[in-house]
Amino acid sequence: MLTKKVAILNESGLHARPSSELVKVASKFKSDFFIEMYGYRINGKSILGIMTLAAEHGAEMELIVEGPDEEDAMREISQLIENKFVTE
Amino acid sequence: MTHVKEQTGTSITLTGIAASGGIGGGRAWVLPTSSTTVKPEKISHDDAKKELAKLDAAVKHVISEFDHLKSISKDDEVNQILDTQIQVLYDPQLLEDIHIKISKQLFGAEYAIFESFNKYIELLDESGVDWAKERMIDIVSIRDQLIKTIKNNGEELLIAENSVIFAHDVSPTEIIQLSRQNISGLVMQKGGLTSHAVILAQSLNIPCVISADWTMHDPEGFTMVLMDGDSGEIILNPSNDEKSLFDKRKTEQEEIRAETMIWAAKPDQTNCGSSFTIQANIEFLNELPRLKTHGAKGVGLLRTETILFQSKNFDVDNQIEFYRSVMDAADNKTVTIRLFDAGGDKLLDDYEAEANPFLGWRGIRMLLDKPDLLDQQLEAILRVSGDYPGKLKILVPMVSRLEEIDEIKQAIHRVERLLEIKNITFDKSIPLGIMIEVPSIALMAEHAAEKVDFFSIGTNDLTQYTLAVDRGNEHISKLYEPLSPAVWKLIAMTKSGADKAGIPVAVCGEMASRPELAACFLGMGITELSMTTNSIPGVKAILCNSSKSELKNLAEIILSINETHLINLHLKEWMQSKG
Repeated sequence: MLTKKVAILNESGLHARPSSELVKVASKFKSDFFIEMYGYRINGKSILGIMTLAAEHGAEMELIVEGPDEEDAMREISQLIENKFVTE
Repeated sequence: MTHVKEQTGTSITLTGIAASGGIGGGRAWVLPTSSTTVKPEKISHDDAKKELAKLDAAVKHVISEFDHLKSISKDDEVNQILDTQIQVLYDPQLLEDIHIKISKQLFGAEYAIFESFNKYIELLDESGVDWAKERMIDIVSIRDQLIKTIKNNGEELLIAENSVIFAHDVSPTEIIQLSRQNISGLVMQKGGLTSHAVILAQSLNIPCVISADWTMHDPEGFTMVLMDGDSGEIILNPSNDEKSLFDKRKTEQEEIRAETMIWAAKPDQTNCGSSFTIQANIEFLNELPRLKTHGAKGVGLLRTETILFQSKNFDVDNQIEFYRSVMDAADNKTVTIRLFDAGGDKLLDDYEAEANPFLGWRGIRMLLDKPDLLDQQLEAILRVSGDYPGKLKILVPMVSRLEEIDEIKQAIHRVERLLEIKNITFDKSIPLGIMIEVPSIALMAEHAAEKVDFFSIGTNDLTQYTLAVDRGNEHISKLYEPLSPAVWKLIAMTKSGADKAGIPVAVCGEMASRPELAACFLGMGITELSMTTNSIPGVKAILCNSSKSELKNLAEIILSINETHLINLHLKEWMQSKG
C-alpha cells in the first residue's frame, strides 16, 4: 500500500472536469484507489465520491493506492494532480 | 404503468395553438417534471435477482443513450459533460450502494436507485460550491432517466431523438438541450405564443403546438404520434389515412416554403420601386447561414442572453468571438446587438424568482445594477466595432425612463475611456438605440428621440405591458392581442416622435413577421423590419408585390379603426385580396 499527501493546485478546485480526469486515470489501473480528506474516505474511482469532496483550491488530501500496479498508479495519479489536471 | 396500446385502436385528436410551423412525427416522449419521487417498495429474496437484472439493463440502456448523443454531438464542451455523465453510470461506489440496497436491504430497483443517488445529491447540495449545484441537476436527471427506463421496462429506446416531446412547460435551457437531440416536435400544455420557449422553437426550427391539454392521455402509450405546428393538431395513434394526410401536408408545406424562398433573393423593394430593409432576429450561431439563404440584409436584433444560458463563461473574449462570427456572417451589413435582456421569463440560474418578473429586475434595470456584466459586454462590443466601423449598433432593452438613457451613455463613455487609455481602436460614433417596449417610453418617444440614434419597437412586450396581459399565462392568452388599436396608437406615436428628431425606427417584434402587419408598418413609413429568418421570404413575397400607396392606404385604415376584431377582419380581407 502506498500513501501520499497532495494539494489541489488548480484555481477552480476539484470540480466536474478534473474529477472526471482523475477517474479516467485511476480506472486504468487494477489497484484500489482511495482519497482521504477531513477524515472522510472515498473511492477514488467513483466520480460521485470525488465530486462530493468539493475540494477547493489549496485543499489537502491523502492518496491511498493498493494493488498489483500501485506504483504506476500512484505516479500517474499524483502527476495528474500536480499538473492541475491538464492531460495533454 | 405504461403499456403500449394496440396500434389498430382508434386515434385521438387533440387541438392546441399552432406556435411554430412544420410537421412532427414519431414516438412520444414525455418530458419528466423535475420532482420524481419513488416510494420504498420491499421485495422478496427471490425477486432480488430480477431487480438487479432490471438495474443492469437500465444502466446499459442509459449509457447507450449517452454514447449515442456523444456520437452526434460535435461540441467538445458537450462531449465533456456527456463523458462525466457516463462516468456516473459506471461509478463503482454508486453501483455497489444500489446493489446493497437491492440484495441486502431488499428494496425494489427504483427505490434503491433513488435513495443511492440522493445521498450524493444531498452531499453536493450541502457542499456550498457553485459548480456542484450545476452538476447536481445533471445527476438528478441521470437518476430520473434510470428510474424512468425501469418504469418503461426498458423495452424501447427512449431517447428524445426523432420523437415528439410532450411537456407541461419548457424552460429556455431545456429547449436548448432538446434541440441538441434533434427532436421532431414539441407539444406544450402551457405557454403563450410569444413566450421565450416558443420563440426559441421557431428559431431552432422545431415544430411546436402550445396550450394542448394532453395530460388526460398517455402519449407514451402509443407507438406513433403526429403533430402539425401550422394547424395546432396533434394525433395520437394515427390511422394510416391520417399518416398519409400528414405526409401530404408535409410535402405541401415544403413546396410552399420552397416557393416563397424565391423571394429571398429579390431586392427589398415594393413593386413601385420604394425600398425597405428586412433584417434577421438572431440568437444562435446555427441560424447564421440562414442570413444569406433567406435574404436578410444584416441582423436587426442580435439576442445575447443565450450566451448567458449556454455557457457560464461570457467573459470579454468569448463574447468577442460570438460577435465576430455574427459580423462575418452578416457580410458587411449592419448588426444591432441588444444588450443582455435577462429577466422576465428568461431567467439566469442565480436569479431569485420574483413575484412579477415581467415588471421586475430585467433588461437595463439589471444591467445598471451589474456594472461588471454591463462593462464586459460594452467592452466586447466596442472592441469588435473597431474592425467593423459603421456596421455595429447597440440596442438597450427595457428602457422605461429617460434617465436610463443618460446612465447607459455614461457607462459607454466609461468603457470608451478605458479603451482609449489602452490604445484600442473602436467605432467612436457607434449608434445607440433603445427598445420601445414599455408604454412609458413610447409616450415619451419625442423626448427620448433627442437622446438616441434609433428606436426599435419590441411588439411582444409593448403589447403585454400596454394591455396588462401576461403573455405566458394560458388563462388570458386570448386577451393578448397585438392588433389592439391601443398598441397601434403607441407605435404611431413612437414613429412620429422619431420623425421629429429625424431618427429611424425599426420593428423587431414578432408582429413584423406577419406579412399583413409588416405591410402596415411599411405603410406607416417604418421601413426597417427585423424578424426570424424563416419568416423573411413570406413577408417579402407580400411586400414586393405591393405598392407604396396601397400600403399607405392600408395603414391609414388600420390606424383609424377602434376595435380589434375589425382590425383583424380588415387585415384578413386585405390578405385575401393579395391572393
